[in-house]
Amino acid sequence: MHTSSPLKKEFLKKWMEGLQICCSSKKQMNVLERKKKIKLSADIAMASAKKTPTSWSNALISYARRNEEYMILTDQLLGPESQFNLQKSTDRMIGFHKRVQCKKILKRRNTYSAGKRTKKKTGHPRLISATLIAKRLVKKRTKVLKRLVPGGESMDEFSLIKEALDYILSLKVQVDVMRSVVTATEILSNEKSLKSVE
Amino acid sequence: MSSRRSREAPRITDDQIIQLLSKLQQLLPEIRNRRSNKASASKVLQETCNYVRSLHQEVDDLSDRLSQLLSTVDANSPEASIIQSLIM
Repeated sequence: MHTSSPLKKEFLKKWMEGLQICCSSKKQMNVLERKKKIKLSADIAMASAKKTPTSWSNALISYARRNEEYMILTDQLLGPESQFNLQKSTDRMIGFHKRVQCKKILKRRNTYSAGKRTKKKTGHPRLISATLIAKRLVKKRTKVLKRLVPGGESMDEFSLIKEALDYILSLKVQVDVMRSVVTATEILSNEKSLKSVE
Repeated sequence: MSSRRSREAPRITDDQIIQLLSKLQQLLPEIRNRRSNKASASKVLQETCNYVRSLHQEVDDLSDRLSQLLSTVDANSPEASIIQSLIM
């Protein structure tokens, strides 16, 4: 398994910059508030550390910006140049979302009315083949995956799998870097507390 | 209208889908340990979902830990800057 260290370096750099922006305010933040900011800066760093933006990274950034509470912070984290590229992609995504939702509503109406007409066509339950069950399972699990991958709702299955691949790689990088930073901080703070006791 | 769109889109072969699924399978820790590379699509999808969920959970836990660490250090600000500069 190849761990991409340039990606790790990029993520670390962006995350550290983001942390300084988030946590530099002098006022006291409670633990929950700080945790949310840490998580936000980590996600934004993960999405913007990619050299070629993908669908999930744009979706992640646009979700963060849609939350009013963090919109300004997100823009600060991203930096000025990327704002123009993002505006276009967020508008496109919002339009796409709406189109997909309209299609879903139409589909639901049609299948509902069609189901009422053809009542008992399911056939003998014992004759339901294994492939049908497999297909149903795949459909169910695809739905779950769509909810997990950011921006997955508006993707066809093929792109969903591609995006999931890339998303998992980036998540791994994020977890690895965060883990090393947290353990390093823990060791440092333990050493410090030991020294102050002496 | 949706049928018109699927006719225009390039045919995605089954081979491509199988290739993608096998790549996904290699990333997942669970399935990689078993030697068989014949995991079904639904199993791969299920493991993917579980893995993504566990990664999300780990990010959440790590943010929690870091937040608590930074809050204990925040009282003495010179140490906070030292920690920051040492990490970077």
